[in-house]
Amino acid sequence: MLPEFFEFYNPTKVVYEDGVATDLKPELDIIGITKYFIVSDHIINDLGLVQKVADGLAEAGFEVTGKYLDVAQDARLNDVQTCADQVKASGAEGIISIGGGSVIDTAKAVNILFSEGGDLVDDYSGAHTLTRPLKPHVVIPTTAGTGSEVTMIAVIYDEENKEKLAFPDKFLLPNLAVLDPQMTITLPPKMTAATGMDALTHAIEAYVGTQASPISDAFAMGAVELIFKNLVTATQNGEDVEARGGMLIASTMAGIAFTHSMCGCIHGMAHATGGLYRVPHGVANGIFLPFGMEYNFEEIKEKLVRLLPAMGEDASGLSEDEAARLAIAAVRKLSKQLNDLDALPIRLRDVGVPEEGLEAIAEGALNDGTSFYNPRDMDEEELLPYIKNAY
Amino acid sequence: MGTFKTPEKLEEVLVGFFKHMGDTPLIADKLLKSGLIIRFNYTDPDLVVVVDCSGDKIDVRPHDTDTKAIVEMSMSADIAHRFWFGMVNLTKALTRKEMVAKGPIPKVLKLLPAIKPSYSMYPQYLEANGYGEYNITKAYTPPSA
Repeated sequence: MLPEFFEFYNPTKVVYEDGVATDLKPELDIIGITKYFIVSDHIINDLGLVQKVADGLAEAGFEVTGKYLDVAQDARLNDVQTCADQVKASGAEGIISIGGGSVIDTAKAVNILFSEGGDLVDDYSGAHTLTRPLKPHVVIPTTAGTGSEVTMIAVIYDEENKEKLAFPDKFLLPNLAVLDPQMTITLPPKMTAATGMDALTHAIEAYVGTQASPISDAFAMGAVELIFKNLVTATQNGEDVEARGGMLIASTMAGIAFTHSMCGCIHGMAHATGGLYRVPHGVANGIFLPFGMEYNFEEIKEKLVRLLPAMGEDASGLSEDEAARLAIAAVRKLSKQLNDLDALPIRLRDVGVPEEGLEAIAEGALNDGTSFYNPRDMDEEELLPYIKNAY
Repeated sequence: MGTFKTPEKLEEVLVGFFKHMGDTPLIADKLLKSGLIIRFNYTDPDLVVVVDCSGDKIDVRPHDTDTKAIVEMSMSADIAHRFWFGMVNLTKALTRKEMVAKGPIPKVLKLLPAIKPSYSMYPQYLEANGYGEYNITKAYTPPSA
């Protein structure tokens, strides 16, 4: 059945090539500016990835007007203002962000202040508050999970009020996403597995979500296929360029899917677990994914069956219920393979969540905004047994 | 011309419904927990209503343009009317700017599950309070010949 309404909007140009992050002249010439400010973090900088990109830019005749490398693990509100001031003072005409979700989200928020001025919280809190395109923003992801290079949202942590602020706006979509497997080669196995499961969760929740459309479905299914083909290899052998490339593309496709069709209870549980017990987002998503699929089973089983070929599974001779359960089993099998590599915990008890904290996770998931988009109406008491199973 | 012909009628119906929600513990308790102060700016006809959840009970104040709201929601009265029937796709309304939300969006999204029961309450409220003509979920009855 077709949805009553959907909108698809993705103006971000995506380029993929092994080594392309150091050879961006053709793409940057089209954008038409020459002065870029780099936003990144110290880990990426210490790995030499920032310098690599900066050298490529200099060689091609572009000027790097400055660098901000102090982005924290969570994108912080204070960083945004400080960085925006530096970008403005440097005389830059655009921003290049090199990093994972926090770096990219910080750069998106910085670009609001850089382009429009004002105060991020007072002037731009809300949904789609911007009225015109921002200055050029080029994104070079160094993880394959968040998909932030193609999403229309920036999530920023307000340390003072201890809350995450979300800025959903189509003008936050970057101009260019540069997918270069060389930029993820150094990602450690645990980060590779966790971010990869984050991407898989984006793809599956987008595919079965209430806002899904035939277009988001195509991106979600493509992402699932690439993740099942490449995640274990990328985790096992980080230097496998093919697997790294597959994961980068998958993450981007999953990002395109979920920025249009949203996420559901799995993200809700992961947000609650991250907030209460500081469990990394990708790890929490990886743990909850099969349990969330089980919670939603009756509502999503038809779509789960359609995902089977992308998961490399054959549903021949199976009933709809059996085939849908095979999809959940396939996710468990993938998690187990990553767990066997000591790269991904698969139980809440293994990541420091206390048993007495499970009810708070259920409550937090129910109060999370994602619960509004979950295919099954969410009920705390009904959800709790699944969280207990994940323990 | 929208569903509500005058601001007075819109105020009578919607403010009455907000007060009804405020008296319903299933909804009110969660709204109060949020501590939010929400200003609704309606057009066609024009009306401003503040729903203040920062105290120990829900305070609904029409025409309050002075209070500093945490969240501002602007929309036409017709979109608001359809919203309370659960007939508005929020993603669609926000992306097409049929609804404009200013303020902390995660806090707004957190409220949505809490107000879900109101979707079935709204038609009941309309019928019970003599506003049946506005109940768009009522089955269409053809005029007798």
